[in-house]
Amino acid sequence: MNKSKPVAPRSKWEEFRYRPVPGHWDEALHPSGFPRRHWRGLATAVGRMGFAQFTRSWHVGQQLIQANGVTYNVGGDPAGKERPWPMDPIPLVVPPAEWTAIERAVAQRATLLNAMLHDLYGAQRLVKDRHLPAALVFANPHFQRSCYGLSPVGGVPLQTYAVDLARSPDGRWWALGDRTQAPSGIGYALENRLVSARILPGVFNQCHVRALTRFFDTKRNSLLALAPSRRDSPRVVLLTPGPHNETYFEHSFLAGHWGFPLVEGADLTVRDSRVFLKTLSGLEPVDVILRRMDDAFCDPLELRGDSLLGVPGLMQAVRNGAVAVDNAIGSGVLETPGLMAFLPGLCRLLLGEELLLPSVATWWCGQPEPRRYVYEHLDQLVIKPAFRKYGLHPEFPAQMSKAARENLIQRIEAQPELFVAQEMVALSTVPVRTEKGLVPRHAGLRVFAARDGQSYAVMPGGLTRVAGESSSVVAMQLGAGSKDTWVLEDHEEPAPAVRPSILVRAGRTSLPSRVADNLFWLGRYAERVDSGVRLVRSLLPALSGEEDFGRAASMETVVQLLTGLRFLPENAPELPLGQQRWHLQKLLSGLIYDSARMGGLGWNLKQMRRSAWNLKERLSSDTWRVLQQLEADLARTPPVNPDQRLTAQITLLDGVVVTLAAFSGLVMENMTRGHGFRFLDLGRRLERALQITDLLRAGIVEAPPETDGHLQLLLHVADSTITYRTRNLTMLRADLVLDLLLCDETNPRSVGMQLSALRDHVDELPEHAEIGRHSIEQRLALKALTAVRLAEVAPLTRRDAEGNLGPLGDLLASLKTDLFDLSQALTAQYLSHLQTARLRSSD
Amino acid sequence: MTYRATHVTRHIYEEPVAQSVNELRLTPRDYGRQHVREFDVQVEPEPALWRTRRDWFGNEVTTFSIFEPHDRFTVTATSIVEVEPARVGVLPTVRWEEARDILSAGTEDASLEASEYIYDSPFVAATPDLAAFAKPVFEPGRPLVEALEELSRKIHREFEYAPKSTSIDMPLAEVLENRRGVCQDFSHVMIGALRSLRLAARYVSGYLRSGANYQGAEASHAWVAAFVPGAGWLHFDPTNDMVPSDGHVTLAWGRDYSDVTPVKGVTLGGGAQLVEVAVRVVPA
Repeated sequence: MNKSKPVAPRSKWEEFRYRPVPGHWDEALHPSGFPRRHWRGLATAVGRMGFAQFTRSWHVGQQLIQANGVTYNVGGDPAGKERPWPMDPIPLVVPPAEWTAIERAVAQRATLLNAMLHDLYGAQRLVKDRHLPAALVFANPHFQRSCYGLSPVGGVPLQTYAVDLARSPDGRWWALGDRTQAPSGIGYALENRLVSARILPGVFNQCHVRALTRFFDTKRNSLLALAPSRRDSPRVVLLTPGPHNETYFEHSFLAGHWGFPLVEGADLTVRDSRVFLKTLSGLEPVDVILRRMDDAFCDPLELRGDSLLGVPGLMQAVRNGAVAVDNAIGSGVLETPGLMAFLPGLCRLLLGEELLLPSVATWWCGQPEPRRYVYEHLDQLVIKPAFRKYGLHPEFPAQMSKAARENLIQRIEAQPELFVAQEMVALSTVPVRTEKGLVPRHAGLRVFAARDGQSYAVMPGGLTRVAGESSSVVAMQLGAGSKDTWVLEDHEEPAPAVRPSILVRAGRTSLPSRVADNLFWLGRYAERVDSGVRLVRSLLPALSGEEDFGRAASMETVVQLLTGLRFLPENAPELPLGQQRWHLQKLLSGLIYDSARMGGLGWNLKQMRRSAWNLKERLSSDTWRVLQQLEADLARTPPVNPDQRLTAQITLLDGVVVTLAAFSGLVMENMTRGHGFRFLDLGRRLERALQITDLLRAGIVEAPPETDGHLQLLLHVADSTITYRTRNLTMLRADLVLDLLLCDETNPRSVGMQLSALRDHVDELPEHAEIGRHSIEQRLALKALTAVRLAEVAPLTRRDAEGNLGPLGDLLASLKTDLFDLSQALTAQYLSHLQTARLRSSD
Repeated sequence: MTYRATHVTRHIYEEPVAQSVNELRLTPRDYGRQHVREFDVQVEPEPALWRTRRDWFGNEVTTFSIFEPHDRFTVTATSIVEVEPARVGVLPTVRWEEARDILSAGTEDASLEASEYIYDSPFVAATPDLAAFAKPVFEPGRPLVEALEELSRKIHREFEYAPKSTSIDMPLAEVLENRRGVCQDFSHVMIGALRSLRLAARYVSGYLRSGANYQGAEASHAWVAAFVPGAGWLHFDPTNDMVPSDGHVTLAWGRDYSDVTPVKGVTLGGGAQLVEVAVRVVPA
């Protein structure tokens, strides 16, 4: 296309000021500065947009990434350190002919590696016949001896494969590294596609970019086909190390995309050499595990014992042939740079073919001759560990002092099998958008393949990763960026007939217990944030000195209530007014801004977010956006000026209440009324009942008698002022307030309504008591509800001779105990097996 | 000599264990001069599922799970095993450097197989300190067997036997520095020293005959086997400065303790725990 008219005449391409580095292959431009043929469509379109419009489109893209919660954890902190996924708006474009070659080469490499895996964990002919040095297996920490002799279900250990490619100055593609255990990136690649198609819609359509969806369907189908027992609807789970993992976003994204439950090790259990998922309805068999966990962590009993992320007994289940694992455990042995030197020979031996995709030139120091070559050419080489190890980095002898070089040589001499040397590759460059225009950065391309029947399907696209400024190392962990990869359709040939993809139904799964647990706590923390905000919001006006009868409570009342709720020291009501004010201000600022303060808003919000993050694949992107809004609200720094601060606080809290309402609304509107919703709502109801019970104690039982101020404040905090006024135009009366907040089951904020909902939910939970008998949870819910229904508000609010409300105090205390017991009982019955595992060993 | 060996392991937990998955390496090995006549293992509480298999090193592994809540766990292994005395013959005079080069070349199948044991393993990695420790013993040109005997003696002489002084996870470097430990540590030191010279050594777990004045009887024991080209694997017990003969019963071997842990499991729950181990090896 566009053979004769490269860049359109009215192009603003010059605005982008793109100048490639001489001496490197530039993906976009010829050395002359003229766009390469397959880039012309993109360059023309982008040129027509001009830099300003292009930048505007890009901002939309960044908002999308934010809104979808696409992240990459760097520190691995689930409480909020994950960074937005770094993506650049200009895709890498690959022409059809070149792609066909890559596709063939990648499929061949996957076939070769699969054959090697077969041998290494089976006959070991490669070692016995001296085709492969034994040290590459025996000294390899990734060779899992427990996996020896295991034949994977279906006979294909390598189901998922990724390879990192780079292009040298002469235009050839090279393999830099193989990823064979649990390659990451296809989820990010799909996200990049969704974003790039949104920000460059016109160009995307004009360029005829090959779609990624078929690859995802293929992968999903082949996962289902791996199920050992040919059941109609096999159950596949995606096993993640958990929210701390740097690519957790991708795990939840893929689980959501494919509709497979996302599980952690503790969600699975091995019984009778079979794997089961712990759900609310009991144990459900698992047929296929797509793991995103490294080999060594999969089974703490047989593999690495110092980490309990995995599933104890999993190896036994695999040995029993009862579960398929994608990729087979042990396949990490191939992620060994030392092996690369032997691939051409092994390819001839095992496949009878020449290796189509050369690896970057590699010398393994475990053999005398290559070692000698390495010593003679140290300055031109980079020295790397022969076996991948976290925390070990490449070394560049050319940049070393004499002493450091000698030390390196000594280390190689002591254990030569641990080192490889590789040629330094001059990576090609791609245009990357910066504020100043487009600049060239080094790039690498990760290509993915999936076993499909008798061969491998290669995803037509990939994850392009770009190095940081003045760096030639491309690694997400080192803070690189990413790009979408556009593989262009071939127009010369008719498009291949689209094979209709038949989607096999995956087995329906009941709610995993861990998910129920997270939903329960999400509900509890959301309610804690809500009640906290309402409490603080009703107290602020007192601080501002507003004594407006209709709205604000007096300082005295506020201090008494907060003392009753144990927020202020016991002696606070006796302190001079000035000190009271100081205490209050300190408390409120702490509650609002100090996220490290346990029980404060920020802290509760952090807990809420932690629970939500564990549920990422189950929350809609709208819900997620609302959560991010909440966090952004509370992350604002307080104004320095005290007066401004107060106004700012009130505005802030008003905003938070509305955002929280949006959260509740989205949950109500979008969640199906299954057990998931039930656990979330159980959490909310339970928490709300506890909060109101506490308020009633502090605001009625422990308040001085005959003060309207307290009742008013109480109604305000409980958001029931208007309801009260519509019903009782008369003055404030304790019995009427108590009736509204304790007994009235039509008031959404009364204890009674929470208890009635709790009773209904508990009745609907999967049964475990004998038929016709009440479970502990049912009895507790019923007991609390009955106590409230039988309560008579008039006598309860009548004070005795000493002015006390003993019976009401007792009632509230007993309600509180019942609610705690209910929470305990729910945990014990439905969530308790989420105990942590520990390893024991003895002589 | 024929022995009846009884090995009892008992765990008492502070809080109930909800379930556990376990692995035992308690079956004596049947090889060379050792023959297993009978073997039986009992577990309390009653396990849900038994399986046995051979691991990579050829050791028999018994796996089982327990799904009923329990606060104590007992494994009793009993075996009747016959051990012949080590044959006293002419020992090969191969020099240690030759042995090292034979292992590196791996031309023979036996040396290729043995070469697995010159590399680092989870608990034992070669270090310059370990090499320095071995160096005075491995004088240039010295016959390997002679050097092995002296290395074992050197450890016995320079290290203090201090039961309860170490836990399993005490790093090897610390053991070497403090010069104290138990049979496990002594074996790891010897293996590490040999690997630092690129010689092949493996960890052997087993029992000592009861009653004799040995360190490490009444509990499970450990010693070292080193590969000597032409003679195969020769055993050395640095804890007792002796060459194991018919007083040592072999259970399992591997690269280090982590490959042959006799009783290992993953539990849910449990809290703190007390462990008691008792071994009795008497003539049958």
